[in-house]
Formats: sequence, C-alpha cells, structure tokens
Amino acid sequence: MKRASFLRLVAGASAGLLAPGVAAHADTLDDIKKAGKIRVAIDLAIPPFGMSDDKMQPTGSDVDVARLLAKDLGVELEIVTTTGPTRIPMLQTSKADLVISTLSITPERAKVIDFSVPYADHPSVVAGLKGAPISKMSDLDGKKVAVVRGTTQDTDLTQQAKGAQLVRYEDDATMALAFASGQVDIIATARSLLPAISKKNPSRTLEPKITMQTFYLAIGLRKDEPKLLAWVNDWVRANLRNGKLAAIYKQYHGIDIPTEQLLKAGS
Amino acid sequence: MIKLSATHLLYLVEAARWTILLSLLAFVGGSILGLPLAVMRVAKSRLVRVLATAYIQLIQGTPLLIVLFLSYFGLGILGYKLIPLVAAGLALTLYSAAFLGEIWRGCIEAVPKTQWEASDILGLNRFQQYAYVVLPQALRIAIPPTVGFMVQIVKNTSLASVIGFVELSRAGQIVNNSTFEPFVIFACVGAIYFVLCYPLSLAARTLEKRVHVGR
Repeated sequence: MKRASFLRLVAGASAGLLAPGVAAHADTLDDIKKAGKIRVAIDLAIPPFGMSDDKMQPTGSDVDVARLLAKDLGVELEIVTTTGPTRIPMLQTSKADLVISTLSITPERAKVIDFSVPYADHPSVVAGLKGAPISKMSDLDGKKVAVVRGTTQDTDLTQQAKGAQLVRYEDDATMALAFASGQVDIIATARSLLPAISKKNPSRTLEPKITMQTFYLAIGLRKDEPKLLAWVNDWVRANLRNGKLAAIYKQYHGIDIPTEQLLKAGS
Repeated sequence: MIKLSATHLLYLVEAARWTILLSLLAFVGGSILGLPLAVMRVAKSRLVRVLATAYIQLIQGTPLLIVLFLSYFGLGILGYKLIPLVAAGLALTLYSAAFLGEIWRGCIEAVPKTQWEASDILGLNRFQQYAYVVLPQALRIAIPPTVGFMVQIVKNTSLASVIGFVELSRAGQIVNNSTFEPFVIFACVGAIYFVLCYPLSLAARTLEKRVHVGR
C-alpha cells in the first residue's frame, strides 16, 4: 500500500526527528492501573479478527483477546478504533497502550515498537477453485491472483510469484466479492477467511492450494516498558497454556492455533 | 457472515453525524481564516502578500491526509495531545482556509477596478471600500465556487478516518467487512452523501438568486 508506507515513513521520520522532545514516560502499567482502564488499538474492519456484530458492537478474536486481557488486569477496556497503517503511530504517540490488531511480528516493526510473545499465528494461503491444478508458486504464472493491498500476502507474492498477475483490492470484503462474481479464480488470503468467502457463492468453493509464510501475531507495546511487557508476556503464556486463547481462536476462525509451537517461539 | 439489517443502516446514519460535524468545522474554521487570507493576498504590502501566498501554496501542495496525520500524530509526538476532534478540526480548518482564501481572492480581483477607483474618489477608506463596495460584489461571484468547494469538503471528511474517526465512509467499510455486502452498503453510503451535498447546492442556487436581485 503506497499510501500506507508513505504514512509510516512520515511517522517514522517525525518520530526520529522529534524523539528527543518526548518526555520520559512514567511506567505505563502503573498508569493503566491508576486510570482503571486500558486503551487497546484494534482495527474493526478485518474479519474475523476485528469486526462488528449485528448490533454494531465490536467483536472478533482480537476484540475478545483484548477483553480477556483487560478483565485479567482488573481494568476496563477502551477500544481505540484504528486502521491498518495507523496501528503503530497510535502506540508511538500514546493514543493507545497496546495494539491487538492482527499485528504480525516483522523486523521493520520491531525497530519502532516492542512485541509481546506471540499469541496466535496467521497462516496465509493461496486458494483456488476446487480441482484447479495449482500446487506451487510457478503454477501461478500468467494467472490473475487477488490480494489485499499492503498485506504480507501482497509483499510475499510480489517477490515469490513473479509470473503471476496480481490484482490488488482494498479490503477482504471487496476481494471476496471479486472472487464470488468470477472476476478472479485465485486469491491469496488468511486461511481463516476461506469458509466465509466460499459461502458467498456456493458454486465457487475455495480450497487452500499453497501454504505461504506463517506470521506470528503479537501484542504491540511502546518501547521501554519493561513492566508492562513482562506482565503481557506472562499473561499470553498463561492463557496459551490454559487454552483460553485457543478457544477464542477456534470460535472465530474455526481452526486451532499451534499452542506448543507458539509457546516455544515465545520462550 | 452477519446478515445486513436495519441496525447497520442506522449505524451508517449515526456515523454521518460525524461527517456533518467535521464539515461544519471545516466551513466555519475555513471561512474565519480564509477571508483574512483572501484580503492578505491582495494587500498593498508585499510582505503580507508573500506570507499569505506561502501559506496557501504550502497547504494546497500537501494532501489533506498528510495534514490530518501530522496534526494528530505529528503534534502528538511533539507532546501536544490533541483529541481527535480538535486535531481534525484544526487540519480541516487549515486546509479549507487555504482553498477558500484563494477562491475568494479571485472573486475580489474579479470586481472591476473602476469600483475601487470610484469608491476612492468618494473618500472611502480601505475598510469601507471592502465592506460597502468590493466584498458585497465579490460575494455574488463567490457563491458557486465556494459551494463547489464545500461539497468537496463534505466528501473529504472521509479522510478523517485515518485518525480514528468512524465517519460515513469508514462506517461503510466496517459494515461491509462484517456483512460482505458491498453493493448495498456503498449504495447507501453514496445516497447519504448525496442527501448531505444536494441541499447545499440547492441553497446556493436560492442564495444566488437573492443576491442577483439588483441585476
């Protein structure tokens, strides 16, 4: 996403230029407890992580993770609605205490914010119509493949499937419609979305063809918050072990998260 | 996926209230700052003209998205914690003032020079010339382009979603991503924008007729 990366650049540049001006921050964990509420940035337009229910109340796996975290911390949850490109600026400028919004751990992001240990994984796949002969990236040569602009799938396919013709859409819903209406036959997206997209048009059922890079999702925090980071890390590990995070994931995504693997990655 | 219901449409209408509020902020703030800018652009002093021109060029050359972004996150980094409404109001004011200033400058200059000369001879000072002779005539010329710009502002407020506003466009996106019904939803969003913008154009036509009464 051109615009998004430009925004990040602006944010990064201004952060870099102006960083010395930021006052030394008191401990955020203490602040949260004192205020009795935690502000969590969530994008509510990425189903099934963050979305709205039929009464337009926030719901989704990231929303439930945030609710559980706030409950265990004994404070009230305030959801700060955000968009994909502004998740990190929200943290940097203290508009939110945490980001729980399909935030994959990437080295670029780790330069500007801290990540907790992973709480879920985010496998993405290239999916196609049932029976279509696709098993490796080179099978995509000359074919139209739909992706959502600026996602990790977009970045990966741009590098790995050079022969493919990428069609970029603004969000999942638009891409789903493009598939259902037959404009594209192959899409690259999160595995968890396949059932929902298939349901749009029963005559066009999707099946996963190629499993792409799997990212770990983590909770984002401002840098230099050792107490908060330690608390969040302990909380994630405890809730991976007791299965509560797995249950949330199962409820919204219909698949299990690899708890053991996540714990190992986070140790 | 969730079925589209009346709740969703209500949600869109409620989000439209933000669109209206943001537009009003832009109109009012932009006018308050824009009129002095327009007058500065045609001032006798070169320095004043240069200052106004520099401001207008700077803002007109910057996307509104970036102005919004900087007024919210940029000032945030500097330690000024503006609430989103203030940040959006500030950005929209700065933005529309630059455009309205330039539009109105054109309108002031479109008033024939002879009007200035005639009012000079009548012994009016600069303020009186503006108040009684030039601005009333400029107003008539200014209505169509001003309304055109206001209609644009209504739609440009959608950019405020970048700083966390759930206004009409963003609300449409959110509903679409829970229901996956883009046609219905964006048709509704479009219809609501039309309902907001069309009365503006109508009002402009009425106003134009009223001020043309002397012709």
